[in-house]
Amino acid sequence: MADGDHFEKLKQSIVDQDEDAVLAAVNAALAEGVDAKAVIDQGLLPGLNVIGEQFEAEEIFLPELMQSALAFQAAMVILEPKIKESGTEGPKKGKIVLGTVKGDLHSIGKNILKLLYETSGFEVWDLGIDVDLFQFVDKAKEVDADIIAMSALLTTTLVGQKDVIEALIDQGNRDRFKVIVGGGATTKEWADTIGADGWAGSAYEAVTLSTTLVS
Amino acid sequence: MRHVELLTEAEVRRTHEASLEVLEKVGILAHFAPAREVFRKHGCTVDDETGLVRFPADVVEKYRTMAPPSFTFRGRDPQHDRTIPDCGPIVVTGSSAPNVVDPVTGVERRATSTDIANIAHLINELPGFDVFSISTLADDAPEGQFSLSRFYPALKNCLKPVRSNTPNMDDLRDVIELGELIAGGKEAYAERPIINHHYCPMVSPLTMDVDSTEAVMWLTERGLPVYTTVVPNAGLTSPMTLMGTLVVGNAEFLAITVFQQMVREGTPIIYAGLPTVADMRTGAYAPGAIETGMLLAAQAQLARFYGVPSGGYIGLTNAHTNDAQSGFETGMNTVLGVSAGATLLNMGGLFSSLMAFDFSKAVVDNEIALMDKRVYRGLEFSEENLELEEIAAAGPGGSYMGRKHTKARMKTTAVLPRLADRDMRQQWEDAGRPVIHDRALAEARRILAQPNPAVWDDALDARIREHFAGLVAGDATPLEG
Repeated sequence: MADGDHFEKLKQSIVDQDEDAVLAAVNAALAEGVDAKAVIDQGLLPGLNVIGEQFEAEEIFLPELMQSALAFQAAMVILEPKIKESGTEGPKKGKIVLGTVKGDLHSIGKNILKLLYETSGFEVWDLGIDVDLFQFVDKAKEVDADIIAMSALLTTTLVGQKDVIEALIDQGNRDRFKVIVGGGATTKEWADTIGADGWAGSAYEAVTLSTTLVS
Repeated sequence: MRHVELLTEAEVRRTHEASLEVLEKVGILAHFAPAREVFRKHGCTVDDETGLVRFPADVVEKYRTMAPPSFTFRGRDPQHDRTIPDCGPIVVTGSSAPNVVDPVTGVERRATSTDIANIAHLINELPGFDVFSISTLADDAPEGQFSLSRFYPALKNCLKPVRSNTPNMDDLRDVIELGELIAGGKEAYAERPIINHHYCPMVSPLTMDVDSTEAVMWLTERGLPVYTTVVPNAGLTSPMTLMGTLVVGNAEFLAITVFQQMVREGTPIIYAGLPTVADMRTGAYAPGAIETGMLLAAQAQLARFYGVPSGGYIGLTNAHTNDAQSGFETGMNTVLGVSAGATLLNMGGLFSSLMAFDFSKAVVDNEIALMDKRVYRGLEFSEENLELEEIAAAGPGGSYMGRKHTKARMKTTAVLPRLADRDMRQQWEDAGRPVIHDRALAEARRILAQPNPAVWDDALDARIREHFAGLVAGDATPLEG
């Protein structure tokens, strides 16, 4: 099969949200000597772009977007080691330190965001749930993050987002990182009040926002 | 009244069995180590490495039957005490919104302790509400007084039972100290604990958190009133079927109920839920969805099977103003709940999926609450109420309007709404086409312009303010503008 046909198949399998087909297409392409980086850049990512457009146009629903992203992630398990081996690893879009604030154990929205970040080319350090303010700050410094992204679902834990921003100011590190907030308990007005760099009402919007912030 | 039942008896039983299977085979993730100890001591299988707790069916059956059939909310004035299901349905405000729609500017902003004082005054006066669940947070809270800045203005301005949560143990202890000061001492408080605690220790799916679990355990050990709410969200934290969501929520209810009984046998509980269906187009949270009412109705049925009172967050709305969406989401869901026998409705005053309190929405919800209570009263079947004598006396072609029988019942048979417009169109035109939002806000203003008889005396206030230095003022003020 010509490379172009492989790319078309890879793209279509992502658009079809079919993990088995994605993995079969990836393996077929690699077996015929298609470069791993090209598999991603010319096959899978164009597929994800179509899915993103379909989602924005409300043609597909969130579970469908998720299925494509999960299929992409499964493909990356195969592709990433090969890219590292060949040294063709491109630059990541940006580094994100992600977590749900102190006292709050809600993880599902945050995990959706993590998945979308990774499929969009960001490198993510997921600190999980119930994350203390210093864990956010220390990890961001350690990995030299571009963005600290914090989720809060409970109105009573919301203040954890403000605490992180205040700690950054106290340490003189506020300008070093962009800080964005989201989650069910947050609003744009809240983000403005605490001096965050942005607010997103959904995981998808958070990725768009982050892309703007790092570009 | 016969309750609306969405499930057959056999289906209820099967739902229960399915929940037992989930608890036995899948289990619950319990993050709070002392809670795992409680489970272990009472016959559950605990894996400390993963935090997973599995429940043998006979253990669940043994402890869940210890839950008593009623739950009592206590207010500063015992006249306002309410026990469900006997007094039910009781109507509770929605709670813990960070924002308020400013009654003067109409713009949403962060809520303060003064807003809480005003809301407490309003809820104290509105007859449809039975319990004041503190509607908002207080953005002006001094350092270390996050919860005191909510409970103090709430309790000071409301004689009805006050309900809320606390984010940590220090806050919880402070709030109970406040309760003891109001009651006149520890013993008096133990006799009549007037703070009604509520938490969501179960995080769907099938997980128990740390902070709320610790609070529930601590309160349960002391015999103080505390109940919990389960909040499965179909498609996100539970399966994308209503039955699958019911099973997850029911397993969670059983786990926390069994936990409380293991901590202290005979602890009163409520089968309380906020079951929702995530909007699959975007993942948006949709507490105003009609499926919330359907699921809550099914939970009411399960609660009857378990012999415990039921209810929960119902009649919440995704709407941002007093529009048709706000009305149909609150109205349709609560009427479904009361028809099914739910006796606790957490419904009042919030817009935007629990994000903002609105004074006029609370007044509209008061009216919806009165209608819900009317539905729950039912048709009041009796031989006497068939009115055979009255029908014969009026005769064919007669009028009932001028009759003594009618006069004696004219104020009790039907709800007399203050806000719903029953005038002719021309009268409405002549009045300048008023909308319900404006009528409701005017009513809120009217109420808040009156002195508040609920405020406690100066001597008690001085004792409290001396005990907690730097406390917010906590006084209601008339709404300007």
